[in-house]
Amino acid sequence: MDKDDHGLLHSRAWLPPLVAFGLLTLGWQLYAVHNRFVVPTVPQILTQLVDHPGLFWNNLLVTLQEAVVGASIGMLAAFVLAMGMCQVRLVERALMPLAVVLNVTPVIAIAPALVVAFGFGMTPKYIVTAVIVFFPFLINSLTGLRSSDPQAHDVFTTLHASRWEILVHLRLPSSLPFLFAAARICMPLSVVGAVVAEFTAAGKVSGLGSLIETSASLSDLKTVYASVLVLAFMGIGLTVVVIVLQRRLLGWHQTAALRRP
Amino acid sequence: MGSGASADVDESKGEGGLDVLGVSKVFDTRKGRVPVLRDVSFRIGRGRFVSLIGPTGCGKSTLLRIVAGLLAADGGTVSIFGEPPERATAAKHVGFVPQSPALLPWRTVLDNVRVPFQVNQKADGAPGRRFRDPVEVLESFGLGDVLHSRPAQLSGGMQQRVAIARAFVFDPSILLMDEPFSALDELTRERQRHELLDVWESDQKTVLFVTHSVPEAVALSDAVLVMSAQPGRVRAVIPVDLPRPRGELVEATDGFHDLERQLRSELRVASNDHG
Repeated sequence: MDKDDHGLLHSRAWLPPLVAFGLLTLGWQLYAVHNRFVVPTVPQILTQLVDHPGLFWNNLLVTLQEAVVGASIGMLAAFVLAMGMCQVRLVERALMPLAVVLNVTPVIAIAPALVVAFGFGMTPKYIVTAVIVFFPFLINSLTGLRSSDPQAHDVFTTLHASRWEILVHLRLPSSLPFLFAAARICMPLSVVGAVVAEFTAAGKVSGLGSLIETSASLSDLKTVYASVLVLAFMGIGLTVVVIVLQRRLLGWHQTAALRRP
Repeated sequence: MGSGASADVDESKGEGGLDVLGVSKVFDTRKGRVPVLRDVSFRIGRGRFVSLIGPTGCGKSTLLRIVAGLLAADGGTVSIFGEPPERATAAKHVGFVPQSPALLPWRTVLDNVRVPFQVNQKADGAPGRRFRDPVEVLESFGLGDVLHSRPAQLSGGMQQRVAIARAFVFDPSILLMDEPFSALDELTRERQRHELLDVWESDQKTVLFVTHSVPEAVALSDAVLVMSAQPGRVRAVIPVDLPRPRGELVEATDGFHDLERQLRSELRVASNDHG
């Protein structure tokens, strides 16, 4: 096996970004030392994290729950609608303009209204997060469901396969690469959705977004930047989960060719 | 033979097969209505291998799609062992081999060949139906070693053989093939031709085979239908009376070369014969 096959374990894969990250941290530190009232220094941020693990952990769990539950609802709804649109043209003609309107409406604009309608609990946060991932997942699902090989479709048609059989045996598996590409966009996007929702609808339940807003109003910059760091790692974590699932389930897609005997 | 000629390539009438009678098809394009097929008629008897050859745009693929029930004709009738295409496909009587292998990349070779058993299971109970064992069919196609490989791991020729096995496995009464070897290189193509011949000679199905290769048409067929373009119609029927079974050596005989020459000159006339 070639060295390159080890991918992420190989030094050529992780060394360049590590060096870039190190240089960025160093630049930050140099700037922060001379501008202590604008940005906190790197040790200050890290100390804040180490000193209050419970605070960040509990708020992380809240935001993570909002992001994952909201994104799941949004992606599931988008996929079900895409299947309907793919099977019945009329559904697409009727609902696609509505989906476009939903997409161009700034989510922040509807968040306060959602708080009035659903209170300060988790519901408005789930809705904002679901709305933000809905459209990209809808478009990708629809493209994916329509990406199946037309000649394979001919083979199914000459066997008189039903629409349902064509959906299950041909369209759904063909759409998987598109669904995973969409999930890689939507999972980090769901973190944005959750934080935006917390900004506009802070309320009873906390979360890293709420923590940032409260700390900023108190000029507690260490907590603000520590929260941002935690959010960044949360986004990375969610992306890694999608990539791992993608490699597991899509072995046939691009990587299959590498296993040529 | 002029426009609307009826081509009978079956000496023993009345025992079923494929009947195409007066089929016409017009495509609506932005440039107006383009007649693709005009009054095409021919008949293929049970167990005969017939090729359809003609210049590009003569509508041979369109004709195959109409026979396969993938496209409706504007006029005329198609009868597959007495049934119209919709009824024949509903009963799983039609095996279709498209131009590309069109295998499902997420399934193994064996699971690809099992597709016909997993859809339209209503048709499976019909009397007289004898399904083949997918493993045996793949082994007879020389694919016994790659049963559990994915299509992407196979060469183009092997992929096309899997596609043909997928059409053989449910024992349809007619096989329709749309230039299945056109994407292969010349050497692979010749090998596939002989393997198909071997398989077919062991189980003589009724076959309609679209091609634009002259040696392929002669080597495989009992008769070759020559089509001309704009609009497409059957110009000539060339019976191929080479002895069977035909090995690779048949292509070196004088009889083979004579037929090739005859077919090429018919094709030349067909290409120049517009309107």
